[in-house]
Amino acid sequence: MAAVDDSQFVIPLSFDIRASSFAGLMQTRYRPFSLWRIRAITANTLTELTRLKVFYVLLVFALVLIGSSIFMAQFSFQQEFQILKDISLGAISLFTSLLAIVATARLLPQDIEDRTLYTILAKPVPRFEYVLGRITGVLLLLAISTLVMAAAFVLVLYLREQAVVHTTLRQMSGAPPDQMADALRVVRSSAFNINIFPGITVIYLKACLLAALTLFVSTFATSNIFTIVVMAFIYFIGHLQATAREYWLQEHSGGVITRVFLAIVTLLFPDLQAFNLVDDIVAGTAISLAVFAKTAVLGLFYTTIYTLLATFVFYGKEL
Amino acid sequence: MTSSPRRSGAEAGPAVAVRGLTKVFPVPFHRQSIVAVKDLSLRIEPGEVYGLLGPNGSGKSTTLKIILGLVSPTRGRTEIFGRDSRLVESREAVGFLPENPYFYKYLTGNETLRFFGHLSGLRGVALKNRINELLDLVGLSRARNRRLGTYSKGMLQRIGLAQALIHDPRLVVLDEPTAGVDPAGSRDIRDLILDLKRRGITVLLSSHLLAQAQEICDRVGILADGVLVREGHLQELIAIENQTELIITDASDELIREIESAVSRSKAKLIERRKSTTTLERLFLEATKNDKRMTKSE
Repeated sequence: MAAVDDSQFVIPLSFDIRASSFAGLMQTRYRPFSLWRIRAITANTLTELTRLKVFYVLLVFALVLIGSSIFMAQFSFQQEFQILKDISLGAISLFTSLLAIVATARLLPQDIEDRTLYTILAKPVPRFEYVLGRITGVLLLLAISTLVMAAAFVLVLYLREQAVVHTTLRQMSGAPPDQMADALRVVRSSAFNINIFPGITVIYLKACLLAALTLFVSTFATSNIFTIVVMAFIYFIGHLQATAREYWLQEHSGGVITRVFLAIVTLLFPDLQAFNLVDDIVAGTAISLAVFAKTAVLGLFYTTIYTLLATFVFYGKEL
Repeated sequence: MTSSPRRSGAEAGPAVAVRGLTKVFPVPFHRQSIVAVKDLSLRIEPGEVYGLLGPNGSGKSTTLKIILGLVSPTRGRTEIFGRDSRLVESREAVGFLPENPYFYKYLTGNETLRFFGHLSGLRGVALKNRINELLDLVGLSRARNRRLGTYSKGMLQRIGLAQALIHDPRLVVLDEPTAGVDPAGSRDIRDLILDLKRRGITVLLSSHLLAQAQEICDRVGILADGVLVREGHLQELIAIENQTELIITDASDELIREIESAVSRSKAKLIERRKSTTTLERLFLEATKNDKRMTKSE
């Protein structure tokens, strides 16, 4: 593209340093912690990520999957609602996890490769503010995409529920009111239950954890491809972690080497299976407040720990 | 142009002080390591334009990165206006333009300056005015709302300079500021550096373009393999003590013969007699300026 305005720049004769805003700027004082700076990095991260094609590809793919589940004909409306919830929540979980890894993996290596990191850190910006701004931007993006997908899921579920309600009303037009009310109650309880929202919150927290872990890995990785590959391994190990722990806790579970290995796996990798509440939601099993709180705290704990580790490694990084 | 230096005499110590700086990069899985900078000491006074010269791989960029706190020294110490450059607050006084900068392509020129302004603690009307001034200063006012992805290399360099100046730094560090820029853009950057000097801003630049450094630097240091092999005032370094140049205009042949005859009668020796020439840069700029005029009149 031709440079439209690539004319030589001329220092205006009237440019007087004392008459300009220079004088006011000189009074700016450094603050060791500034929410303003973090906000600037967060907003920039959000802008950067929302302009990535991969974000829209993943989001559209997830929305299409959620939307297509409306057309799945089943034997009964209970089965239909179960499959709809299974597919939709599975799609939300998979795509938020993928987005968390893919979006975060590129941030730091890209900034180093483009040297934008030099320009940012050459300003009075502490490294922890950079890390905090970056991770907050990713968490906001994940929140937005989770909300969009959750809204699409609830809309699809509502539309199917309305369709089933109308069919039931039509089929039971001659039935007594009590019987009809019971039938409608069964339809509504099969479609919506209170577990959906804590379930989606837990899916979001799992994505937050994965984003923080990806950021940590990217602080010592050499490229974003390396980070994504490492995260793919961690993702699978994280889902097998519970099995490994059970195996380890059994009294006669093998030799010392096996036990040490399983202990390391258990301690180092997050238990991602603990964030899988989809099966309970689909089955209609109530998620107790204690289970939800425990899972949420675990998610916040992991996210915080990995962010702190990322900051620690990033502080010592030679740029 | 107002040429009143705003800070002359304001600082007691040097703008940049580097003492016994050594940087060793270990090579993974090898016993040997790379010594990028070896026992380097520098002192740059406020208001000076200092050129760090040397071939590629001589340690210029590493030295600048250590001064900016981006890389930690193996040994030695660097200070900016008396503050340890490992401290974040030392960067309050610094503006930096890296070599071949690539900023966020999805931001416009205006948004880029606002982002870096926010990072520097500026906001509100002061930031808005500052952005307008800097866009005017670097000649990008009309391109302010275009995304950086559409900017030419010269324009990127100029927006880079603008972001380096956003918070009115006392020290500007430029890593190869004219790398990849055409002669006209290169001259603009040179003019801007000279303008910064007039304002009393200290400039530390690295370059391997010696002719350009010669035009703008007060002092230079020459690095080779991480070692400072020469340092001093430019005129002192390049002067040939026992030689003198006379540049005469409209001299008749008779006058020239008389001068040559006087030289031959003395103990001195005439080494060379030649017609004065313009520089290739000046020729290029004049030629391209004429072309522009012709295009406009067409």
